[in-house]
Order: sequence, then C-alpha cells, then structure tokens
Amino acid sequence: MDTILSLETPPDIGYARVLTTAAEALARSRGLAAREQMRFQLAVEEFFTYLAQVVPEHGPIRTVLTGKPYQVCASIRFQASGLCLGALNAGCTAVPAGDGETGHPLSLMLAGRVADRFRIDRDGGDAFILHAEVDKAYPPAEAPGQCVAIRPPYRAGLESDPSLLMHAAALAASRYPAWHCPASFQTPGKFADMSGAGRFFSIIAQDAASHPAGILCWARSGDKGLAFSGPFVFAPPEDAAQVARLLTDAFLAAVAREKVEIVFSERATPDAPDGYFESLGSLTLHGQEGPSEQPVLYRHLREDAGETVWAAPELEGYLRGAYDRLAMCRDILTAHPPAAFERKRSLLSTTLDKNKGLAVLRPLLDGEDASANLAAHVQALSEKGVPNVLLYLDLSRAWEAALAGPAMEAGFRPRLVLPFAGRSDVLVFQHAQSD
Amino acid sequence: MPSLTDLAPPHVLNFESYVPSRPDEVLMRQYGVDRLLRLNNNENALGPPPAAREVLDAFPPVRGAVYPSGDCFFLREALGRAFGKDPERFLVGNGSCEVITSVIKAFCQPGDSIVTADKTFAVYEWVAAFSGIDARLVPLKVYAQDPDAMLDAVTERTKIVFVCNPNNPTGTWWDKATLERFLAGIGGRTVVVLDEAYREFVDSPDFPDGMEVMERHPNVLVFRTFSKMYGLAALRVGYLCGGQEAVDIVRRTHLVYSVNTPGQMAARAALEDGSGHLEATRRMVVQARGYLRSVFDSLGIEHVSGEGNYIMARVPVPDTLLYRLLMRQGVMIRTMTGFRFPNWIRVTLAQEPAMEAFSMAFRKALDGR
Repeated sequence: MDTILSLETPPDIGYARVLTTAAEALARSRGLAAREQMRFQLAVEEFFTYLAQVVPEHGPIRTVLTGKPYQVCASIRFQASGLCLGALNAGCTAVPAGDGETGHPLSLMLAGRVADRFRIDRDGGDAFILHAEVDKAYPPAEAPGQCVAIRPPYRAGLESDPSLLMHAAALAASRYPAWHCPASFQTPGKFADMSGAGRFFSIIAQDAASHPAGILCWARSGDKGLAFSGPFVFAPPEDAAQVARLLTDAFLAAVAREKVEIVFSERATPDAPDGYFESLGSLTLHGQEGPSEQPVLYRHLREDAGETVWAAPELEGYLRGAYDRLAMCRDILTAHPPAAFERKRSLLSTTLDKNKGLAVLRPLLDGEDASANLAAHVQALSEKGVPNVLLYLDLSRAWEAALAGPAMEAGFRPRLVLPFAGRSDVLVFQHAQSD
Repeated sequence: MPSLTDLAPPHVLNFESYVPSRPDEVLMRQYGVDRLLRLNNNENALGPPPAAREVLDAFPPVRGAVYPSGDCFFLREALGRAFGKDPERFLVGNGSCEVITSVIKAFCQPGDSIVTADKTFAVYEWVAAFSGIDARLVPLKVYAQDPDAMLDAVTERTKIVFVCNPNNPTGTWWDKATLERFLAGIGGRTVVVLDEAYREFVDSPDFPDGMEVMERHPNVLVFRTFSKMYGLAALRVGYLCGGQEAVDIVRRTHLVYSVNTPGQMAARAALEDGSGHLEATRRMVVQARGYLRSVFDSLGIEHVSGEGNYIMARVPVPDTLLYRLLMRQGVMIRTMTGFRFPNWIRVTLAQEPAMEAFSMAFRKALDGR
C-alpha cells in the first residue's frame, strides 16, 4: 500500500525544512538507499524553494509525498500566472539571465537533474501540479542459468507471484535485446515490486512442470491505452508460436473488458503472432549493430467510436493519410500556433532509457522558444550519446498539436500515430538524425 | 468538500460502463457511407409480425399521456394463456436486462456470487459487477457451457447460476439430458436462470423447454424476450417465468411501469399473431446460416454456429480492424474481443441480399489486407 504524506504550507522557504524532513522520512521508510533519499530530499527542497520565491502572492503550496514500494514521488500543487520553468529543460545548460524569470533558476536546474523524472499537470486556470519522482535502486539482473528443458503441454494465465515474475523478467532480459524489454527487466526486483503495486500486469506461460515458458506484461498508458511488452518466449523453437499465441490470447482475454480502448506496443517482439495486431508503422532504431526497423503494433479492444483531434496545418495531410490507411474515423480540427505566447520558454520532459539508447520528449508547457528548445534537447542528448530521440504530441490539445511545425523545424519527422495512447491520439515524431 | 467519487462505492467506480454503438446517421457520416446494414445485434431482419405492426400503426397518440399498465396486466394474461400458466408467474421487464437486474437484486447481497460462463451474454457479469456481487466465470468447453465445471464453481455463497441456452454467441445448447443432470447436481441449492432469448429459433425436439422444466424444478427461472424472434427490439420487452414463490421474491425488487404501452400492446399482438412469422423467420435463418457457412468454408475461415440467428467466425485480422473495414462499406458486425473471443466476429443471419452484401464486403476487406 502507498504511504501518503500531505502538507499545505505558506510559500515561505522557512518551511522547506519541514518538507525535506518529511521527504527523507518517507524515502527511508520505503527502503530507498541513502543516495536516493538525498536526491528526493534535494528535489523537494529545490522545487519548493523556487516556487516559494516565484509564487508568494498566490497563497499556500500543497505538497503530497507518496511512497510506493519502488519509488517516491512529490506532487506540488501551486498557482502561478505566466509560469516559466525553462530551467527544468534537459537542454538548459547554463543559468539563464535576463530572460524574465525571477528567483533562482539554478535551483530548478538542480531539481530537474536530481529527480529521475518530472512532469507538470495543469489543474485548471493558473493552478499546476509538479510531480517529481525518484526511483529506488535495485541490483541488476543476473543471467539465469539454462538447466531445465521446457516441454509441452503449456498453459498461460495472470501471474502475481513475485519470484516467478522476477525469474521470467530475468529470462527475458537475458534472451531479448534491451529495446524489447521494459527498463525494469534489467532489475527484476523492481519489476516484481512494480507488479505488486499494480504498475505492471503479467501473463506467464508455464510448461507441464511449471517452468516459465514465456511472459507478456503490460501497463496503463494514458487514460485509454495499455502498453504491452512481449510476448517473450522461452520455449524451444518448435513450440514458440504456440506459446506466443497462448500468451496473446490470455492477455486479450484478461483485458477485453478493461476500462481502456486499445492495447499497443512500440517494442513488441518478433514473436507477436500474426493476425492479432495492426501495424501502425515503424520506428528506426539505432543500436550497436546499426539501424533497424521496429514495427509498432496496436489493436482496439472494441469498436472504434471515432474521435476528434487537432492537427497543425502542415501535418493535416499526413494525419488524414494515416487515418485513411487505418480505416479510422476522425474529425480533424486545425491547430494554429497562438498569436502571442503566455511565456517565453517552453518546457519539455525528457525520459531517458540508457539501455535502449532512447530519449522520449513530451511537451509540458508551451512557449516562444519551442523550436529552439527542441533543438537544444537534441543537442544535449546527442552529446550524451543517445542515438534515438522521439517526441510525442497528444492531439487532444491544440497547443501540443501546433508544435508539429516547430518540431519539424528542429529536425523531427512524423513517423506514426498511436490511437488513444494519450488523452487522445498521440503523434510520434523521430528526430531525423536518429531515424 | 468531498468529490462525487468519494460517494460512489469501489465496485461502481471500477466498472467500465457499456458504450453502445452510435445512431445510424452518425455512423454513416463518420464512415462516409450512405447506407448501413446492421448485422451486429441479432435483430430480426423481417421486423415485427403483422399483428404487432397493426397495433403500432393504430396506437393513438393521445394515449402517450397515460401511464402504461404498471405490471403489464394484459400481456401477462396473454403469456399465461400461451403457456398454460397462471399470469402471476410472469414478470415483464424493459428487455431481459431489467429482468436480470431484478433477479440479482432479489437473491444476492455483497459477498454472494453468481456463476456463469466466461464467454456468454455479458449482462449477467456486468450487473453482478456493478452491484458488488462476485461473478465466477467458467470457461467454455469446445465452445459450449461446461455443466461439470459450472457445478464445481458453485459455492455456499453462490445464489444464481446463469445458463444461456442456446448460448450467445456460440449457439451451442444443452439438451434435455444435460440440463436434467445439471439441475440434479445443483439440487436446489441455487436459483438457476435459463436464458432462452433465442429459444424460438431452435427446432430440435431434444432442446429442453424451460417452461416445462420449471414445473419439476422450483428453483428454475426462465427468461425470454420479444426482441429477437418477435422483432420488437426497439420496444424493449422481456419477461421471466418461474414458480410462484420465486417470482414473488423477484417481484419485490422489480420496477413497475418500466414497460411502455406500445411495447406491451405489440408484444401481446406478436404472441397471438397467426401469420406464420416465426416459420418465415426460421426459414430465413436456416438459409442464411447455410449461405454464410459456405462463404466461410470457401475462404478457409473457421466458424461456429449452433442455434440462434447468428454465426461466429474466426478472422485472420483483428476483429476490431475488420469492423472498421466493413463499416467503410456500410456493413456493421459485432466484434467479439469484448466477449473474450479475440479475432472472432458475430454476424446476424438475415435475408439473402444482406448476406450477399456482407459476403462481398468481407471478401473485399480481407483481400485488401
């Protein structure tokens, strides 16, 4: 069960100590190591310090600290007009000066770096919630020994046993390229903890002697989608197709009446059986062996009821073509960039998966510098040696859809549409240098 | 201030509300077609019997201002005459869905369970779920409800077992001997609902007649509907029949005034219609079943079809994709993923032109992939 601490404080840095003490206590109680305790404490302190200085006239700041078995999270709700959090951008390399920001952006830069990830939700009007997460550290997977023969008959079903999940995750990580695996497969203890907390669900196939013969797992993505990984098959080649079908059938039966519209995967394995999913297109992956194409798979769980999406004028033709190819009905509204921006500096979140050499950018706040900010992110990621850079735009928001123009100016190219993968459909761009 | 979600119980918050298909004109606009052939809901393509049509044509608009008979008095009398039973042993509802809800409300409380198949008419499971009642789902065995497994699933907290006979969507059915063995195994421990929504489509003498079975088993309740064979789906009239004691219990939870006057009148007329409408519908269904079986066979498509006015087929692409490809040609079928039959579709059996239109669209959709 999650541990939740909720504090409402005046926007006064004198209260930072209260928050950091609570953050440290929470991180310690959830078993985070000293380094992660410190990172969490620091993220909370720096975010709060910054906000206390820039939003004093807007009243109290509400901080909710949540401890999960695998992670701690600070959700800070505040009000601000013309909010500019540009210093949080991963591409921000120096303390900005004279850009209209007040307070100490250095604290923001620091907060953004010590947290494993952050995001911002708008809570209506001028209210925002800033979420910062720090993950628990886990030991890496040890390659499991191959000492048993997997033999039919096979069965498959929902599985929650932590030991079995850890074993299956380690088997998958040892047999499949990192691209296909959830990041937590590299640290199976984390995968088991995330499963126990309801973050992942898994179908496991077992043979006659209850040895794992395969796994397929999934997690929620947005309000309407389930993102799956797999199927990962450990059975001998002659049985692989049968086990993959068992896993897929059991998966679809398990989620058929879920509160979601679709299942999809940007990292499905080649074992995914024919006829179960539609191809939305592919992403070009750059790895040590050179570039390769990774198909992106998807299927509806029920009849498509249609949707309304926003599209930048320069992307409208591309989207109409994509929807026509998918035989999917969409009302497309034109999204123009605003005549005047609320803030100078835009904000992007960056999720980095070092094992995959992958960075995913998502817009959090719009601003005048969107194109330059995207380019700065690409530059910063390139310097870190990240070869694959994707940008996701949720087409339910006009301002996000309108970023298609700046994205293309910054060298991104549209690759595919993920129906219902966000609040609505998500348009996936890949940076031209990486596709 | 608490949010509304704080007021709702978890079993309601966790329930996925059903999203019905949109009206024809909306769908036609969305998919850019100028006609829509509905083969998704097992409606009777011949429509209502002539006697019911006459009643509907003659319905005086002024009666729209007057409440209907709260307990469907004349319709129950007609049902009593048709089946040779006391009218008090019938409860009429706004479609069988309301009757299902009444039975679950009557017999179940939190902590209780119902037993049903995992791949059958979903409303039993849905009503249980949003009522906070555990639904124990038993896998089918070779597309048929498995009586032994269903018996094994019964616990001391099981109050109702739902048997869909013939089963929607597979069309499989329990014969007289199977049902008797099952009821003997239950031994009166639970209510057994025999949902015979498609009973009128069955010709076999070995098919058990729930109206007769209930006379020997007071724990049996039979559900039937005017939506399918009688072509009155838009008017929503279904009913249950059972022993007096069981019906008296269900009546306590059953809403009155839920069935409108045109529905009551049309249902009564349909029941008493002597035009041969049932025979004509059966002939249409038999012919369409044979036609679609040959279509699927010619394409090497696996299909399942027992009784009832529908056929199910396993398609080589996601069923939800095929739905969209067929909709772009003005043909609507039912996807089966929600029935936990991924990559299967269900097609209503209708007149020859409709079946040919489906066949053409189906071939084109598959050829284009």
